[in-house]
Amino acid sequence: MYKFPKDLYVDVRIEETFETRISFKKRELQEQKVRKNKGAFVRVFDGNRWYYSSLTDLDGIQEAIDTLAQMATPNPEIMEHPVVKAFEVNQDTILQYENNSVTDIPVAEKQALLEGYLNLLDYPEIVYHTSYYVDKKTKKSIYSSKGTAVTFDVQTCGIRLNLELAYKENKDTGVVSKAAVYFDELKGLESYFKEEVEKNLEFVREAEPVEPGVYTVLLSPLATGVFTHESFGHKSESDFMVGDETMKAEWTLGKTIGKELLTIIDDGTVVGNGYVPYDDEGTKGRKTYIIKNGKLTGRLHSAATSAALEEPLTGNARAVNFEFEPIVRMTTTYIEKGNRPLKDIIGEIDKGIYVDTINHGSGMSTFTIAPARAYKIENGKITTPVRVSVITGNVFETLAEVDAVSEEFELLSFVGGGCGKMEQYPLPVGFGGPYTRVKKLNVQ
Amino acid sequence: MDKEFITIREKETAVKIQNTKINAIRTKDIVKKGVRVYKDEKIGISGAIGDISDKALVDNAIENLSANISYPYDLSAELKDHRDYSKEKISSNDLAELAEKILERLRKEYSDFDFSESINTKEITYTMKNTQGLDLEYEDAYMSLGLILKDKKSANVFDGFLQYYGRTFDLDKFWEFNEELLAAYRKEVPLPEGKTLPVFTLEFYELENFLSRALNGELYATGSSIFSNKIGEQLFNEKITIQQNRDPKYRPQAFFDMEGVVLKDDAYNLIEKGRLVNVYTDKRTAHTYNLPHTGAASGAYDGMPTLSRAPLRFLVDSDDIKTALDGQMAILVAVSSGGDFTADGSFAAPVQVGFLFDGQRVIGKLPEFTMRSHLYKLLGEDYIGTFPNKHLYLGEGILLQGYYMDIVR
Repeated sequence: MYKFPKDLYVDVRIEETFETRISFKKRELQEQKVRKNKGAFVRVFDGNRWYYSSLTDLDGIQEAIDTLAQMATPNPEIMEHPVVKAFEVNQDTILQYENNSVTDIPVAEKQALLEGYLNLLDYPEIVYHTSYYVDKKTKKSIYSSKGTAVTFDVQTCGIRLNLELAYKENKDTGVVSKAAVYFDELKGLESYFKEEVEKNLEFVREAEPVEPGVYTVLLSPLATGVFTHESFGHKSESDFMVGDETMKAEWTLGKTIGKELLTIIDDGTVVGNGYVPYDDEGTKGRKTYIIKNGKLTGRLHSAATSAALEEPLTGNARAVNFEFEPIVRMTTTYIEKGNRPLKDIIGEIDKGIYVDTINHGSGMSTFTIAPARAYKIENGKITTPVRVSVITGNVFETLAEVDAVSEEFELLSFVGGGCGKMEQYPLPVGFGGPYTRVKKLNVQ
Repeated sequence: MDKEFITIREKETAVKIQNTKINAIRTKDIVKKGVRVYKDEKIGISGAIGDISDKALVDNAIENLSANISYPYDLSAELKDHRDYSKEKISSNDLAELAEKILERLRKEYSDFDFSESINTKEITYTMKNTQGLDLEYEDAYMSLGLILKDKKSANVFDGFLQYYGRTFDLDKFWEFNEELLAAYRKEVPLPEGKTLPVFTLEFYELENFLSRALNGELYATGSSIFSNKIGEQLFNEKITIQQNRDPKYRPQAFFDMEGVVLKDDAYNLIEKGRLVNVYTDKRTAHTYNLPHTGAASGAYDGMPTLSRAPLRFLVDSDDIKTALDGQMAILVAVSSGGDFTADGSFAAPVQVGFLFDGQRVIGKLPEFTMRSHLYKLLGEDYIGTFPNKHLYLGEGILLQGYYMDIVR
């Protein structure tokens, strides 16, 4: 297909995207946009440096390869280079959305679906709202000079209702959303949306400021997912570890990180935002146990980090789009479910905070969660809504403080937004888990 | 039928760095085109990445008229304004040489740290033209350096940053400041005594986000802004003036909004001497809610003009931090990630990297702590001032802002 230059490693990633975006401001149609784009990312490696180019003219791929090759230094031993040796060679085609594709649904039908849900927003407390229907289908093809030739497609869609709320002097915002893979999954969600909207109304009417302090905190599956992603997921991205002896020592495989009930997984095979049948280097997606029964058992890799740390590939080299190179990123990251009913776990909390939904989170040595909806837990019951700016904890200490995980379990995806890592934002990821109890966290 | 054309061309070279060595060079040259057509008070939109013909895009935009999206507003018209802010364009080779020069010194003199990420140059040409005689062009070229700093003895994912953004880069000034900064990274110092301390920020995203929501004309008019019904009221310290500001001098952005509006002096006052005088609007919001039009439309190159957020800027109201501190030591926030305001204005944020700061020099690295305040205290009685950045070589247009905040150790 392409003429790959001798004595260099080359790969080419071609992306064809179809996107729909429909938005309303209150009941007025604001935007109805269908975007179809194509682009490619070319990488050339000479064993010393990588040379990258992104382009939109797919007829210019060969020229881009040749131009980058001229910048590189031919290396007769390139196929023996540890990074090149690490690359999997796969030849496969997985086009599972040829039928039941979001591209086949008329845009008017998508608009009508969204418009129908606006009837659920007629409350005096909802003083303003914006709403979105979005979908995206991407077909990717990856070819390498080592012989990889894979083509696959991924697809997501979703509805998001942003609520501006006011009740007396109280102001707040709320988000109600549902992500899916197939358009039909977004139909018939009236009960779900109504229930979520009403939780937001109760919150703006009744939430009181939290008394800052250290609390036992119960995280919903959504909050568990964000906590896992921020507190631990980023630290398992091994590009942070390459060439860093302190990090390697700190994160030695086999080390005990938490209690036996704690298992954390990253799984690129879960269909949704984090679905990676093949990563952006052509490595097959897979399930990786990062922590198993409290012990560190794995981390996330690209070919380069896999070679540097001499650990197996995990299929986590991802790029936000064709303008960027793949770097180590999460896919769908979650805490494995436990075997205790939620009601028993709540029942053991005399005084605590329940985090239901979140605005955002972050993770360094200290992780943070900024809750959207949070509630007091008093004498084993979820009671009054409370306004919380931020919940923080030290990553190492907090993982050891996880003392209960529920049998109830959910995996989710956001509609809009995603994970950011330096210049590459937003990358769609999946997340979730059980209801998770953390014995001690700072609540502000 | 009127037609409007938006074209954005971005050329970029990025030198990617890992473990204080160049590991990749990335080049990009991408054109994004958007077309809008206007007919019978309706708007149709289309767009594409790549050099697609105008005719194809116009045909798609005409097809999009069937969505019946109302746009009964006058187009910006009869204005030609071409501006080129680029000062020096750095070639890929020169950038790689500069990067290697910086990295060589970091490897030699700062081997206790690891540096990763990138040094980039970007050239941008952004045009907006229509059949009513609008002809706007913004050209710019700038360099950005963002290096993640990792202490080799630390188990953190990262421990800080070296950064620069600007149209001209002075290597001597870069080292003069970063020698001081890196020395401070090596020197751990305790937090000053006291429950409430002066805190200085360089980029306070949480505050900007909160104000951006509160000053949004749609949110204001519909009663969901914390400032709703308060136009004319004294909200903040009387030193404070906040503008909607599109002047490319301060940040690399087009001087016109997504409806082709160019403001006098590229700015519009929203808070004047602490008093709320305006909220920001696009044409639709101004018309719908009978508010002054401030030219704040945003949107994608291929999307509808809309009101989401506007670039805000505090005017400098104070001159010298050292004088303002009067001998007291302050905190300079370098990395604060994950904090936020609640809807009623309470604020809390962890500070992952902060420095002891005497108003001119960074003295040493502080332990992690949490800062707390409330919007009306922060910009009211606890506000110290907005100062020009005279000593910290971090980039063009950066201001330093100070407030007293509660410190939780």
